[in-house]
Amino acid sequence: MPLIEASGLTKHYGQVQALEKLDLAVEPGIIGLVGANGAGKSTLIKILLGLLTPTSGSASVLGMDTVRETREIRHIVGYMPEHDCLPPDVVATDFVTHMARISGLPRTAARERTAEVLRHVGLYEERYRQIGGYSTGMKQRVKLAQALVHDPKVLLLDEPTNGLDPVGRDEMLDLIKRTGTDFGITVVVASHLLGEIEQVCTYLLAIDAGHLLRSAPISHFTQRTPVLAVEVEEGADRLVVALVARGARAKQDGARVLIALESDALYDAVRDVVADLALPLVRIQQERGRLEDLFRDAAPASGIVQ
Amino acid sequence: MTAPNPAATSPAASSPAGSIYDLGYRHYEGKRNGRAYAMWSLFVEGLRNVWGFGRPMTAKAAPFILAGLYALPAVFQLAFSSVIAQRVATTGQAANLLDYHSYFEDFYYLVTFFIVAQAPELVCRDQRYQVLPLYFTRSMGRIEYALSRLGSLATALFVLLLVPYVALFVGDVLMKPDTFAAIGDELPKALPSIPAAALIAVCLAALSLAISSFSPRRAYSAIGIVAYVLLMEAIPAAIYSIGQSGGWAWSDKLFLLTPITSLIGALSWLFGQPLDPEFVSGSLTAGAYLAASIASAGVFIAVLMYRYRRMPA
Repeated sequence: MPLIEASGLTKHYGQVQALEKLDLAVEPGIIGLVGANGAGKSTLIKILLGLLTPTSGSASVLGMDTVRETREIRHIVGYMPEHDCLPPDVVATDFVTHMARISGLPRTAARERTAEVLRHVGLYEERYRQIGGYSTGMKQRVKLAQALVHDPKVLLLDEPTNGLDPVGRDEMLDLIKRTGTDFGITVVVASHLLGEIEQVCTYLLAIDAGHLLRSAPISHFTQRTPVLAVEVEEGADRLVVALVARGARAKQDGARVLIALESDALYDAVRDVVADLALPLVRIQQERGRLEDLFRDAAPASGIVQ
Repeated sequence: MTAPNPAATSPAASSPAGSIYDLGYRHYEGKRNGRAYAMWSLFVEGLRNVWGFGRPMTAKAAPFILAGLYALPAVFQLAFSSVIAQRVATTGQAANLLDYHSYFEDFYYLVTFFIVAQAPELVCRDQRYQVLPLYFTRSMGRIEYALSRLGSLATALFVLLLVPYVALFVGDVLMKPDTFAAIGDELPKALPSIPAAALIAVCLAALSLAISSFSPRRAYSAIGIVAYVLLMEAIPAAIYSIGQSGGWAWSDKLFLLTPITSLIGALSWLFGQPLDPEFVSGSLTAGAYLAASIASAGVFIAVLMYRYRRMPA
């Protein structure tokens, strides 16, 4: 049974079109929902949760209609909102236990599940402290814990890595990946960062300005040639010339040089050229696929001419 | 920390992020209760919340001090009941005692302070910290949420209002030489305090929550409640006093809109006492005030439910 189905799903807020005639059919897995801020990701998630009613069209989660079968859907979903949703003067275990009980878990079960889930998200002794004293990373973990505590079949995560430092980001992504693979829970992750979505997802939905841009397994997206970015303080133009002379596909992008990474030998070439020219090197890094790339790739497919 | 138990280790524990204590994720196969249980859970949480339990000491200060002050005169009378009884026996003069029907009338402002302090506590925090979406995506509808919150505050108020009535009752009984006969005498006088406490509790809870639900900021909600109560008391009184000289016969009907005066009038009906001219002017009957109080509770409950039905989440 498809996880998410939508046909002609449209949502308008007054004059603003948040979603425009979205048609979807997505199988369970770890689904990445990518789009720029304001693309309609949160709106789609809220419609799936039954928090918003679509202007027209319909959507369903595991075959249950989001308007008519809202209550049934809510028994099987967990939701982690984008915004803060934790009262600061409450102890984390108390809060998660309370949310478990609101989901219908009896008192003892709620306590046990809370302890277990908080351990899964990596909160140990801190869980007996008030949430107000937590770091952003710990708060995100509590938000994930409250979404997981009633053991949902589907987890809807809206920007789970928001405000996290790189380490926290990687830990959260790892947690999401484990939730999807080891726990056997279907996860929908919304994010504006394609790079992080790529790391964990099996399927990608890209939306832009309320339109569906792409909907395909992740492998379709990652077959692009990776790009190496070399940043130098000066002499980027000379670097390009030297690299092109060695047969590499390179182009200048401000102080950076972007090189199509066709073979590992290129790393050596870059090293040699930079050394020969005695250029002040700042950094060499592999470019993560960015949303702009995705949109550039997708543009011809969706008929937009730039 | 529990000892590692290899037998219980599932394949999940082998993932790099899992520690040796990680037993892996286990699915919940147990019982799941429905909406009534969710409402009950929220009701209990709300009740604890109103009194500041499960929160820092500072959260307990306001409710307990106000409830204590409201009960204090009655408790005082109870504590000195034997002294008062002796004085009455020796001097033969009847003591000037606190009475059931006038207790709320005398100390209503403390109850008003209580709702001003605690009603915003109950509904504003959930809005301010954006907890509502977490409720509304669970088996908790908007109406259920509003009703649970109303139940919590009304129950807290009911307890607060009933304590001094009970203290008065016990004190009055202890003042009499024959305890059993005294219970028989006092009970009919004391019993209306139960519906009285319930009526005040529901009316004031509905009023204060309906107003509070319009702002996520506690301060604005508190000001809103104070402003509503003061204005709705002052405006009818002002129009009535103008109307007295101008001969507007209808002007005393406006007293039906007053939140506190109506309740005081309604209590006269419940306790079977004449209206106190010091508080209640005009030609309206106690029964009319009772009807007005019940109607206002109904209106405010409707407003509260409408507000939550329309609240964006």
